[in-house]
Amino acid sequence: MAGTLCRMPSVPLALPARAPAPAAWAPVLDEPEAWQEFSRRVPGSEDRWESYIAIDGMYCAACTLTIEQAIGRLPGVESVQVNGSTATARVVWTPQLGQPSDWWRALERAGYRGLPAGDELQAQPRHRERRRLLWRWLVAGFCMMQVMMYAVPAYVAQPGEMTPDIEALLRWASWMLTVPVLLFSCQPFFASAWRDLRHRRIGMDVPVALGILIAFGASSAATVDPGGPLGSEVWFDSVTMFVFFLLSGRLLEQRLRDRTAGSLEALMRRLPASVERRRADGSFERVAVRRLQPGDVVRVLPGEAFPADGTVLEGDSRVDEALLTGESEPLPRRAGDAVIAGSHNLAAALLVRVDRVGEDTRYAAIVALMERASVDKPRLARLADRIAAPFLLAVLAAAAAAAAAWWPSGPGHALGIAVAVLIVTCPCALSLATPAATLAAAGALARRGILVRRLEALEAAAGVDTVVFDKTGTLTRDRMSVTQVRTRPGVQPQEASELAAALARRSLHPASRALAAASGPGSWQASGVQEIAGRGLQGTVSAGDGQPARTLRLGSADLCGAPDNAGATAQAHLADGHGWLASFDLDESLREDALPAVASLQQRGLDVQLLSGDRTRPVQRLAGRAGIASSRGGQSPEDKLAHVRSLQAEGRRVAMVGDGLNDGPVLASADLSFAMGQGTPLAQSRSDFVVLGGQLDAIPAVLALARRTRRIVRQNLAWAAGYNAVCVPLALVGWMPPWLAGLGMAASSLLVVANAARLSRPDRVRPGLPPEAARPLALGH
Amino acid sequence: MDILFLLIPLSVVLGLVILGALAWAVWRGQFESVDAEAQRILDEG
Repeated sequence: MAGTLCRMPSVPLALPARAPAPAAWAPVLDEPEAWQEFSRRVPGSEDRWESYIAIDGMYCAACTLTIEQAIGRLPGVESVQVNGSTATARVVWTPQLGQPSDWWRALERAGYRGLPAGDELQAQPRHRERRRLLWRWLVAGFCMMQVMMYAVPAYVAQPGEMTPDIEALLRWASWMLTVPVLLFSCQPFFASAWRDLRHRRIGMDVPVALGILIAFGASSAATVDPGGPLGSEVWFDSVTMFVFFLLSGRLLEQRLRDRTAGSLEALMRRLPASVERRRADGSFERVAVRRLQPGDVVRVLPGEAFPADGTVLEGDSRVDEALLTGESEPLPRRAGDAVIAGSHNLAAALLVRVDRVGEDTRYAAIVALMERASVDKPRLARLADRIAAPFLLAVLAAAAAAAAAWWPSGPGHALGIAVAVLIVTCPCALSLATPAATLAAAGALARRGILVRRLEALEAAAGVDTVVFDKTGTLTRDRMSVTQVRTRPGVQPQEASELAAALARRSLHPASRALAAASGPGSWQASGVQEIAGRGLQGTVSAGDGQPARTLRLGSADLCGAPDNAGATAQAHLADGHGWLASFDLDESLREDALPAVASLQQRGLDVQLLSGDRTRPVQRLAGRAGIASSRGGQSPEDKLAHVRSLQAEGRRVAMVGDGLNDGPVLASADLSFAMGQGTPLAQSRSDFVVLGGQLDAIPAVLALARRTRRIVRQNLAWAAGYNAVCVPLALVGWMPPWLAGLGMAASSLLVVANAARLSRPDRVRPGLPPEAARPLALGH
Repeated sequence: MDILFLLIPLSVVLGLVILGALAWAVWRGQFESVDAEAQRILDEG
């Protein structure tokens, strides 16, 4: 079985376990208008369609085979191709013979989850672009090797050793194989140079395109007429090698970008797809969410997301609105209360009347706010680009001047010198300096489970001086914990905890889960547990060893007759037949890595702040425990945005760490943004970095790596500048033939890439220090 | 040496044929999911 080969990654994607089971809504997909959303007719065929499915739970290449086999055997399915890097499957099938819901069931049996991937149809141009670049790179690479073979005799032969006809033959062979490079591989350089020139700009590709064209033109003239005015010098080998090196850099950059984008797209598809709607006769049918209309009545099961804004008609449950309002504690919802699209129903089934759908929901409004904020984002000027424009102009001017100065000694010689100047100063080292370093850094981060959305963000990260945390889920775990137990005289805290845990195991309320987790499996067994709506639990607890059974109540203070003490924290109380028995102080538990991460940031001279939509007092308490001096509670998304803007107005560079949907606008307007793994897909899609495992030490690590990256970029730029300062004069005075210029360019590029590759090695821990002591030092160097 | 006048054009033609094969492989999606092919040999099903 191929699945046994599968290795789990060290940082698994956090999959929310609360999306409805696929099999429940799969039949909806059998309606033609539903499956046509993620399908299209196979071109040139009447009854065959191709459909795209996003697959959850793929970890490695072996999974692709398991999935291909699972779906490939089904009736109507003609072929299946699974793409491991984007985690999508393409199914070619015939609607008359089979149904899409079969695929979903087969996937589920194989241990995966499928989601319709309508966006994959839009992604087709990007796939084509990827193939095109690969094709260009392969053409350049293959032709480069072959042209080198034809060029070698000319380099090793002594004057007079090669007959002119053999020389001409080799030249023509080189020419034949350079033409495909020019036709297929160089097209992006020509297109980009032409675009720049048409807009009266100068870009990296202008001297590149010019160098290629002049070198090829002069070489072609020399090939046609070796005795002509342009001499007998040919540079086909230099041209092809040059193009190959340039394309290699672009290919690497595109590969990394695609890998990052693919994982994020898979996350973005996790939105509710279908819902149970009440028919006129009172029964329920599953329909796609987009077919809902205001006035419809839907049943939302525990664990499902609300598909639209609405009003509860029947039922009594709790909802999790943390993603939309920032309120981290589950809120009670019963008949008459409003619920919002995108929030989750936690406890019991609710009957909801739909009030607003689609664009009118609060969810859609927040998404719109987010998109506007991301348009406002100030463009970061890139260090290399700032230097590049004047440099490129100087190169063009120098090449022209050299050609003019050497013209009297022969046009061929003069053009050779111009080409040498264009190529030796080739912005290769310069243009590779930044991307090579940022790519190596991004690769190193990806291996730690940190995805980089925008490569430019690494530059911004090096200058950050303020880190702003959002409380919900970033500093805390999404669980509460028991911090203190107070009991009636004569009752042991241990006993009280065990009694409470016995009852609490019968409930899913967050406080109950905290109580159940706080105590080991005691000998007490609860029976006849009833939920008292909105107040707590009641039940009988017995030990089974002859002790009398006790009737206990667990819940709010008035339910248990607890003595009033105005503790700041949330509390749960326990009472028996004699009245109040114990009180449990509950608090959101701080993540274990929150304190070290905050300390590490502060040690590096960064200002750490906390913003939250929660009430002010718990926020301040939490900030105190995490060691954060500056905190603000009760912040709406607009407040947070205003705060970040005011910090930026003071000249600070702000990094925002969030995970909620309401963070979206703030994430987008900060100079730098992190989304922690359990965050909503949409917020992640707008952030610069996505920390898949949600580990907080990723933040100091990213900032440290960003500073190392900036240093490497500067070294690379300094090298490129020094190299050019030495080689350009040599080329200008004619001591640098084009082949040597090409070689110098290649060696220089290689050096830059090798220097950048140092970033993909992990931080060195200095010897002689324990790991705890060494770590901040290692981060700081 | 005269044989070179046959062999070198032949090598050029061969190169163009190889380019054609590369084009076929790239555009038919042979390089889309290269990791999976390494696993296929270990698969019994």
